[in-house]
Amino acid sequence: MNPADQASEQELIAKAKAGNAEAWGELYRQHAPAIFRFCRRAMHAREDAEDATMDIFIKVRQKLSQYDSSRPFNAWLYTVAANHCWDLLRRRRGRQDLETGEIENMPLEHPDPGQLEQLIEKSSSQEVRRALDQLPARARMALVLRYYSDMSYDDVAATLGVRRAFVGVVLLRARHQLRDILGGRGVDGGTS
Amino acid sequence: MIHFDEMACLLYLEGQLEPSREREMALHIGECDTCRTLLHALERESHVLAVALTEDNEPMPARLLSTRSWGVPSWVWTLAFGGFALGAYWLWAGTVDPWLQQLSNAGFGGTDFMSMLVFSGAFWEGWSYMIEVLQVLALVIVGIAAIGLLRRRFRRHTAIAVVMSVMALALALPQRAAATELRHDESVLVPATEVIHTDLIVSGASVRVDGTVEGDLIAFTGMLIVTGHVTGDIIAFAGQMRMEGTVDGNVRVISHTVSIDGSVSKNVTYIGNTFDLTERGQVGGSLISIAGDADVDGHIHRDVLGMIRRTHLDGGIGGQMWLRGRNLTIGQTAEIGGSAIFSGSRKPVVASGAKLASPLHIETQEEERREMFEAIRVIVNEIVGFGAALLLGVLLVTVVPGFFHATLRETGRIGVPIGVGAVALLISVFLLALGILLIFVGVGAGVAGVLGYAPILYVSQVFVGAWLGSRILGETSSTTGAIIGRIAVGLLILHVAGLIPVLGGLIWLAVALWGTGAVLLGFYRMSRAEPAVLSA
Repeated sequence: MNPADQASEQELIAKAKAGNAEAWGELYRQHAPAIFRFCRRAMHAREDAEDATMDIFIKVRQKLSQYDSSRPFNAWLYTVAANHCWDLLRRRRGRQDLETGEIENMPLEHPDPGQLEQLIEKSSSQEVRRALDQLPARARMALVLRYYSDMSYDDVAATLGVRRAFVGVVLLRARHQLRDILGGRGVDGGTS
Repeated sequence: MIHFDEMACLLYLEGQLEPSREREMALHIGECDTCRTLLHALERESHVLAVALTEDNEPMPARLLSTRSWGVPSWVWTLAFGGFALGAYWLWAGTVDPWLQQLSNAGFGGTDFMSMLVFSGAFWEGWSYMIEVLQVLALVIVGIAAIGLLRRRFRRHTAIAVVMSVMALALALPQRAAATELRHDESVLVPATEVIHTDLIVSGASVRVDGTVEGDLIAFTGMLIVTGHVTGDIIAFAGQMRMEGTVDGNVRVISHTVSIDGSVSKNVTYIGNTFDLTERGQVGGSLISIAGDADVDGHIHRDVLGMIRRTHLDGGIGGQMWLRGRNLTIGQTAEIGGSAIFSGSRKPVVASGAKLASPLHIETQEEERREMFEAIRVIVNEIVGFGAALLLGVLLVTVVPGFFHATLRETGRIGVPIGVGAVALLISVFLLALGILLIFVGVGAGVAGVLGYAPILYVSQVFVGAWLGSRILGETSSTTGAIIGRIAVGLLILHVAGLIPVLGGLIWLAVALWGTGAVLLGFYRMSRAEPAVLSA
């Protein structure tokens, strides 16, 4: 986003904070599609994603006064969205995912670079999305946070409630599970 | 050569390695083909992941995009609820109340008619207990619903909804007294010397009660004769019944013929062919009957409400009389204490000596024409009903699309809205009972809020119809025309199916429960979403 756009967005936010409905509507129009897509990637069902999108914007509206304008609005929005979705997933699934200790101790097969290249080349985006849907909640969420929202390792760690040092492990394990699904071997270890 | 592992390669790619380790790796990959290839593969994988995740492959749902309802502030929803209440009041003031007034003028005033039907136990004495139970239950339900709303986890409470539905069903069933004696034989006789200190349920080819039953007598028999004393009610399903004794409660009978030659302290409800109240026969309360012939020579202390083909009255009626049938003959010894109205195809015969408190009001009709008009009326009603519901659907889709889609989505969840609808029905029954009580003490306006339920009931068919149409024609994205088409198809099916006897009634009941639940959930969704997200 260029400085002019940033200034314009900050102006909108300031107006929305002051209770300007049109400004809020504009902010919503600008960001709702991306947040819906984020929710769609994070949640299994479309209905859940729709509900989550609405709920996230309700929260954002309520917490708008707490937003620190020195931070990018987009990043803050994704943090709220990520926390909301992860909270929902956790409450619904319970602690079914493997704990970090178990993840740490689980050995990962070293990939053959050639085979990995081949697998990547033959997989379409649609196949990757389908495979993502089959991943355990934490693995899917980690990939979404990192590669959709472009969150830092610190933010991913804070959202998922794991130590920063384990974020890489969670991501790598998620990639392995994804490869297994794409390669027709199904998910190992984790549960969804 | 020692290679770096995949973890290190990933962290290197993502810029997460310590600076010294990063430098070490940068040097290594300059010399190592294996690690360089792995890095490249991981980089490609990151790219593929990012593309797959960020690709805009799915449009925003209509309810999230619905700009027409943007800026609708929360007070609009409050106003909408107010509008519903006003509409309900209009419905009451314009339709229900005049109808009751007409009945009142015809001799069945609110106190007599409604209380006779509902509260005095003409049909079932358990009403008063049921209302008490409903009051408690309504509070419990409101509590549970409030908890559900606060937790914002409706979807996870399908089990609660199912339990509520079961409770609604259980409440709809009459509860019998716990202490009951059962007797079954070819011929059952309760001799004059016997006293049964509880309810008696009896079945057999013939049943004769000469003794005393200190409770209710429930009989399933070909021939029932009661010459003794029943302190409770008589409920009978019999070929013939003759009552020559004393009943302290009500008599409710479905039989071919019934003859009352004794005394009934409360009301008589009869469905069958021939009703005979002999000269010695006394009914302390009212008579409600659907019968072929009725001969009333005895005395009925309160009102008579009947759909009877031929009625011959030589006895007395202390209250008012409303009869619908073909023939009415009022003999010279007859007496009617209140107003009397007869609606039938032939002119009634009134003997000159008959003592009527007011002149008999006669409404004669040509039956055949009436039946034909009735059939036309039913068809026209259905067509108008279909058109009105479709129009309502079109209005909802175009004026409040957000609400429409939210509610339609709730309709698709089937179990939850039906459960919520059942809960709403329970609460509304309780409120309705309360409303009727208010009417009796003259606070008619008090029912305006109660009847807010009626418009929701009406709207419910639109959403169930839309859902049904979508199932048949397939899901549609959001074009208004396609949605209206689906509403039309669904409504058409519902209205045609609704004409089927019995099944049609059950269908409408299901639609009412299902749609009401969906509408309430839709309101709930919108009341949460609209003000916060889209408006100030």
